[in-house]
Amino acid sequence: MGEIRVLVVDDEPNIRATVAEMLEIEGYSVEEASNGADALRAIERHAPDLILLDMRMPVLDGWGFAAELRRRQVEIPIVVMTAARDAARWAAEIAASGSLSKPFGFDDLIRTVGEVRGAA
Amino acid sequence: MPSSPAAGIHEYLRLQLWEHPAHETSWGSAPAAMTALELLSWINRILFVVLFVAVTWRAIRQPTRAHFNTALLFGGIAFAVIGALAADAAAFDPPWLSGALITLLNLCPWAMLRLVDDFRGSPRWVQPGGTVAFVALAALGLLLFESSPQLVELATIAWFLVVGGYAAVAFASASRRSRGLTRSRMAAVAVGAYLFIAAIVIVFAAALLPDFQPVTGPVTQVLALASVVSFFLGFAAPAWLRRAWREPNLRSFLERSVHLSGVVDDREVVTELQRAAADALGAPGAALGLADAQGATMRYVRADGTWLEVPAETYIGGRAFVAQQRLIVTDAVASDPEHAAVYEGAQARVVIAVPLSADERRLGVLTVYGDRAPIFVEDDLWLVQLVADQTAVILEARRMAREAIELRGREETTLLKEEFLSAAAHDLRTPLTVLLGQAELLERRLERDPTSRVDPAGIARIARESRRLRDLVSDLLEAQRIEDVGPSTDQEPADVRELVRSSLERYGYDGAQFRSDLPDEPVLVRMDPVRLEQVLDNLLENALKYAPDGPPIEVRAWAENGETRISVVDHGIGIPDGERGAVFERFVRASNAQARSDTGLGLGLYICRRIIEGHGGRIWADETPGGGSTFHVALPAQVLREPMDGSPSGDIPLPPTSGVGPDG
Repeated sequence: MGEIRVLVVDDEPNIRATVAEMLEIEGYSVEEASNGADALRAIERHAPDLILLDMRMPVLDGWGFAAELRRRQVEIPIVVMTAARDAARWAAEIAASGSLSKPFGFDDLIRTVGEVRGAA
Repeated sequence: MPSSPAAGIHEYLRLQLWEHPAHETSWGSAPAAMTALELLSWINRILFVVLFVAVTWRAIRQPTRAHFNTALLFGGIAFAVIGALAADAAAFDPPWLSGALITLLNLCPWAMLRLVDDFRGSPRWVQPGGTVAFVALAALGLLLFESSPQLVELATIAWFLVVGGYAAVAFASASRRSRGLTRSRMAAVAVGAYLFIAAIVIVFAAALLPDFQPVTGPVTQVLALASVVSFFLGFAAPAWLRRAWREPNLRSFLERSVHLSGVVDDREVVTELQRAAADALGAPGAALGLADAQGATMRYVRADGTWLEVPAETYIGGRAFVAQQRLIVTDAVASDPEHAAVYEGAQARVVIAVPLSADERRLGVLTVYGDRAPIFVEDDLWLVQLVADQTAVILEARRMAREAIELRGREETTLLKEEFLSAAAHDLRTPLTVLLGQAELLERRLERDPTSRVDPAGIARIARESRRLRDLVSDLLEAQRIEDVGPSTDQEPADVRELVRSSLERYGYDGAQFRSDLPDEPVLVRMDPVRLEQVLDNLLENALKYAPDGPPIEVRAWAENGETRISVVDHGIGIPDGERGAVFERFVRASNAQARSDTGLGLGLYICRRIIEGHGGRIWADETPGGGSTFHVALPAQVLREPMDGSPSGDIPLPPTSGVGPDG
């Protein structure tokens, strides 16, 4: 089935790096983007299979990014990751496939990503 | 026809004053005119007697000196009228009767003189002088009227003109100096006195000049009528009229007090209410005492604007408060000798005290005082009560408004705490995510390959996020601590230059990043040096954070206009217009700082502001010319005390000036 490509979108570089490392150890191929606009450009370059999306970001936030994807009729499963209490609600708002509440551990991340991949 | 001059005058006065005019001669010639004059004369006599009864009744109910003197004033007139009628009815007409009746009339100016003293005081000799003159005049009237009636006439005219006139003028001036109801009533009394004197003088003058008698008869009666009506208005005004006269006082009180609900300081409110009450009541002074919730203590505002707290039962006002009853004391010093000095100092001889209450709540007491008893006690009591009730309403409204604000404040505090927690939780989660992730990564790698090399980048991330977490936690705790207890007040003189230097050194900042511009002499502030360092660190860190690569950040300290000034000038991203005030609020970060996604709770500048304001200073942000932010701190300067031992630096912490240290 080849490498599964994951796009990690977060304005915190340390979080991006940490999440990317955890995914890479598990054999995922990871791209990084620091905000929604960055992420849109990354998608144009190479379509990911899954997007891990922080919601509160400068320039273009998670909601704007999701809306733009819908407008472009791009269908890529999204996992919302946020430090806010409303992870699940925000995930529902943008019709994401899953959510992760920061701080999440290795197992949470891999399980959630796996579940979303399996469902897709 | 009368046979002697005395008999002629006697006959004339008898007709003019004591009986209806010319009742024996005029039936046939001009009955209509005579009847009208006769009617008028009867009306006047009845009115004077009724007025006498009214004021006497009041004097019995409220035995004050002023009431007694009023009764005396109209008693003279009424007894003259009644005596003449009685003598006429009994055909009792001894030659001394007219002299006696004139003496009764002469009581009036004497009573007026006494009233003047009640109303506004008069020189010390006036009263005894008036009494001596009256006794002499009485002797003259009783003994000499028969032999030399002209002399008695002239003396009576002079008596009325001089003494009555003096009293009338005094009433008029007392009226001008009073306010509201008292002013109106006093004016009526003055008008009544003028008219009455005019009537009497004309009657007696006409007795000496018989040619004018046909004209003076009707004039006298009209003057007498006008006079008695005025006296009625002054001394026995009907309730509706008094209400109308009172209305402007109350209105002025309400107009002045309506703005008071917005005034924050209770002392200001008390002072203004006192002034308004005194003005509305025409009293020289008023004191408003506020009771505490238990009614155990009473607070007054001293002349210098400070609070004076006394046990609730203190002063005459305290007695009224404890008894919850209106009190009138006509000699304050005698009534409360313990506080004689207070009453004497305020020239408070007469005190009216009215307790203030709203429903069951006892709020305090309104005391109105002056150097003499109010003339119209009933009115004054009424008015004081109305003003007191209104004062109670205002105080109660203020209390309720304050409670509402406190309640809202508590709600806001709760809300802020929740916001605080949720913001804190959010900001703590981000570094925690990195810590947890990196730690588990290390764990996994070691599990898979126990010999694997440690990832230096991961360790660096753990260290960085741990430090961030530490700073966040200490910021949170600091902000919470400041919120709970306020900034530290442990204040000692500190040299700002030293604090700036040590801050710069501690962080190891080099000259490329910072430049300091400090004067040669010490720049002192009185504050906890640890606190000031905290502020400096925060400002320096901010400057570095938001202006990392620009020209060096400048730190200046100097003394200016009694203030110690510190400024931190950076050439970084600056703060957008309109946000420079808000960045000092809790959880507020400039929009461009957020966009840079530098994390932070938005507490640093808030903590700085709390500390600086807690030390009586100010902190604000400006735009640096050419871009960037300038943060200013102004603190009250510490004035150098006179050195105790001759050394100017005796108790001031100064840096060591040479290498001779404890270990050098």
